[in-house]
Amino acid sequence: MQKNVYRLLLFCCLSGMASTAFAADLYVESTTMMRFFQDSRYGYTDKTYAPATQFLNVDLEKLADGNLSLHLSGWGRADLADKSFGDKRHDHTNGYLTYGYLQYDCPKHDARLRAGRLFVMEGIINEQVDGASLRTALPYGFGLSVFGGATVHNADLYHEKTDGKGDAIYGGRVNYNYDNIVEVGFSGVYETNVPHLVSTGNRTLVADGKYGSRRLIGADIWLSPFEQLEVMGQSSYNTETSEFAEHNYRLNLRPMDKLTLSGEFSEYRDNSYFLSSVMFSRMYQGLNDKSRIYGASAYYSLTPQLDLTADYRHYKREIGNADRFGADISYRFDANKIRTGAAYHYLRAGSGFAVIPESNASASFHELRGYVMRDAKKYIASADAIAYVYKKKISGKRSAWEAICSLGYKFTPDLILSGDMSYGQSPEYKDDLKGLLRLSYNFSFSNILGGNR
Amino acid sequence: MKIKAVILTITIALTLVAAAVAQQAANLSPPASHPDITSFGKQLDCSECHTDAERGTLKPLHDYRHSRQFIKDHRFYGAKDDRTCAVCHKTSFCNDCHTNQTEMKPSIKKGNRPDMQMPHPGNYMTTHKIEGKLNPASCYRCHGRANNQRCFACHR
Repeated sequence: MQKNVYRLLLFCCLSGMASTAFAADLYVESTTMMRFFQDSRYGYTDKTYAPATQFLNVDLEKLADGNLSLHLSGWGRADLADKSFGDKRHDHTNGYLTYGYLQYDCPKHDARLRAGRLFVMEGIINEQVDGASLRTALPYGFGLSVFGGATVHNADLYHEKTDGKGDAIYGGRVNYNYDNIVEVGFSGVYETNVPHLVSTGNRTLVADGKYGSRRLIGADIWLSPFEQLEVMGQSSYNTETSEFAEHNYRLNLRPMDKLTLSGEFSEYRDNSYFLSSVMFSRMYQGLNDKSRIYGASAYYSLTPQLDLTADYRHYKREIGNADRFGADISYRFDANKIRTGAAYHYLRAGSGFAVIPESNASASFHELRGYVMRDAKKYIASADAIAYVYKKKISGKRSAWEAICSLGYKFTPDLILSGDMSYGQSPEYKDDLKGLLRLSYNFSFSNILGGNR
Repeated sequence: MKIKAVILTITIALTLVAAAVAQQAANLSPPASHPDITSFGKQLDCSECHTDAERGTLKPLHDYRHSRQFIKDHRFYGAKDDRTCAVCHKTSFCNDCHTNQTEMKPSIKKGNRPDMQMPHPGNYMTTHKIEGKLNPASCYRCHGRANNQRCFACHR
């Protein structure tokens, strides 16, 4: 299956190149990063890392009749010191094709076809596949999208030779939009049977009905009868467990142009929501199944440069309740060249959510953040600090904090060399000193093949 | 037998769709790209043009103003029609965070852009042990079936 997928990808790329009969626009984004940091956690042997990573994004647009385009994105890394953390299968080098697809747009019919490695985000669907997707408008306000292909696999589970996903996945969404006032959608995703797991613990999960295939159906809604009101959300239903997995809804009110008031409601049934993930199915066992979140926030744009946000959330789980509240402020001046921001949030949570849930433990903490940044014509500089201050000490430490400074020089607006340095301390890390160099280079060419369209 | 039935169903469905699309003549697509580049270092003041709906077809700014709330809930808008996002953002913009196998935290990759709202910046290792119990669904969206190769080091 996997071989066929790679053949398909190769075919797509080659046919894409071959179809560049005349003109084409080329956009390339390149970021090269050299990082230096030490992993010095309590109880572990210190390790030094120096990974060099190249990110590359290429978009070749207006191919053939002008509606065909090719999109590629990926990264490659070489470890110049110790092997990267958690990288079991590769020896000092690694790489990944994040996406690589051909896209054909048909404006006349409001349709789009993609083939290759791609992401699909439609209603309750959020998947990466090696395959194809089609999205099109239908008459009378209806729309349809379908996708199918091979699952994109990830790192193997511990003690297993599989990542726990089935080998093929497909699904789609049907939607109806009335005059851009309301849109409702019905979507579903079906993955082939999960692979056979060998470890005793994982087989127990399967036997207990805590782990199974990914098969969800769901509905989503967006409603805005007038510009002061917006309702949106989605619900998903797990056909394997025969119960709802998620309800997630938002209400936005705009009583004034500069003010947005939001309400939030979420409900999860963890057994159904996490069913197709071995790792999460294991983790939620101590949390019981059902959880709800109620929230509210207010966003006020005092001036075009000054934004204020205040928010509150109430978490309700079977092991206890928690509250979080706080505020953010951001201010931009000097024609947006100087940007600043600050935030404070407090989480009030009981012992059930603590790192070690003992009777006298607390999970409450303060979260503070502040940054300033200057984006000038020839340089870019920033300072950023974030701290979590715990109500009760964790491993003898009261806080986890980090400060990051960055300085960059713009050779041109599209060629920027920058360096970051950060230092922090936490209950996990003795001294967390990190540095990196970053070279960003973007360029674009129009009509690179010189033909006529 | 089951596979044949599925293939037959898909074939019939696609045929019906093709027939329906053939009847569709209206051009409802959003523009393929924004008239000005909005990449790094070239941000514009959107309100210069997107002031009010009376100026024609320009979408009013508050429909997509990238407030903190909008960024937190952007998945709802993306899942409805990601072509609106694509008018200004290339796919690679999304994939700074949304990947299947990430190389580094987005807040490290964009460490020179503290004004961008990135997921759990700073030293989050200890705090994730609390947040993970509070709302594991928020972790699952990014780390459930993807970006979890580093999670396995502890979560076995």
